[in-house]
Amino acid sequence: MPTRPHLNLGSHLLPGLVALALFAVLAAVFLTSSFGEAAGFPTDVSITANIGYALIDLQRLGTIPTDGFLAALLIIAVVLDAALDGAVMLAKREGDEKLIGIESTRTDGGRPRDSAAGGTDSGSVSDTASDTRTGTNTEEAN
Amino acid sequence: MAVAVQYYLLLSAAMFCIGLLGILTRRNALFLLMSVELMLNAANINLVAFSLQYGNLTGQVFSLFVTALAAAEVALGIGILLVLYRNFGDVDITKATTLRW
Repeated sequence: MPTRPHLNLGSHLLPGLVALALFAVLAAVFLTSSFGEAAGFPTDVSITANIGYALIDLQRLGTIPTDGFLAALLIIAVVLDAALDGAVMLAKREGDEKLIGIESTRTDGGRPRDSAAGGTDSGSVSDTASDTRTGTNTEEAN
Repeated sequence: MAVAVQYYLLLSAAMFCIGLLGILTRRNALFLLMSVELMLNAANINLVAFSLQYGNLTGQVFSLFVTALAAAEVALGIGILLVLYRNFGDVDITKATTLRW
């Protein structure tokens, strides 16, 4: 009996439909609304300089209207510092308080690796290589 | 000449919905973090678009703070992800169902 592929319909498609419906609603609202002409920025002033002034509450030095953001800058600095501390705290192992450095970082989540076999193999390879090189040199000398 | 603000909003809505779809369907915690980033950046597009629309720089400056907040969130998220992998051997969020192990 010949078979053909079937569309796998079911409730697992619901999240996709939710996201698609949300996009449809948003697009319908945006495309039917009117916002008027864009005011834009003057072309002869530096926008970056004005952003810098706004970050440290010196917006009176700039020409583009903006608010002052010094408090927000300080708060976000504290938040970033706290996030760094939190990330370090989470990355620490619970047993020893040693921070996991480059030497002990393992991409497989901390399973022990067998370094003895690898060391022996590399040693034998280098021995063979030096033997070959010596042999070649001897032949060339002869 | 200038692109109308509706199209920025449309792009932002599309990014937000892609992020929402990722959050609803993905089980890998890394993809979940990426989806949250998509949604935050969709909000940033709105801020910058309306900054141009009204000729006021506040939106652009605020989008910088949203970006910094996203960085803090990802730092903590990856820390949590490390602990998740260490304890469960996987980054599948549906497997982390117990508070003690």
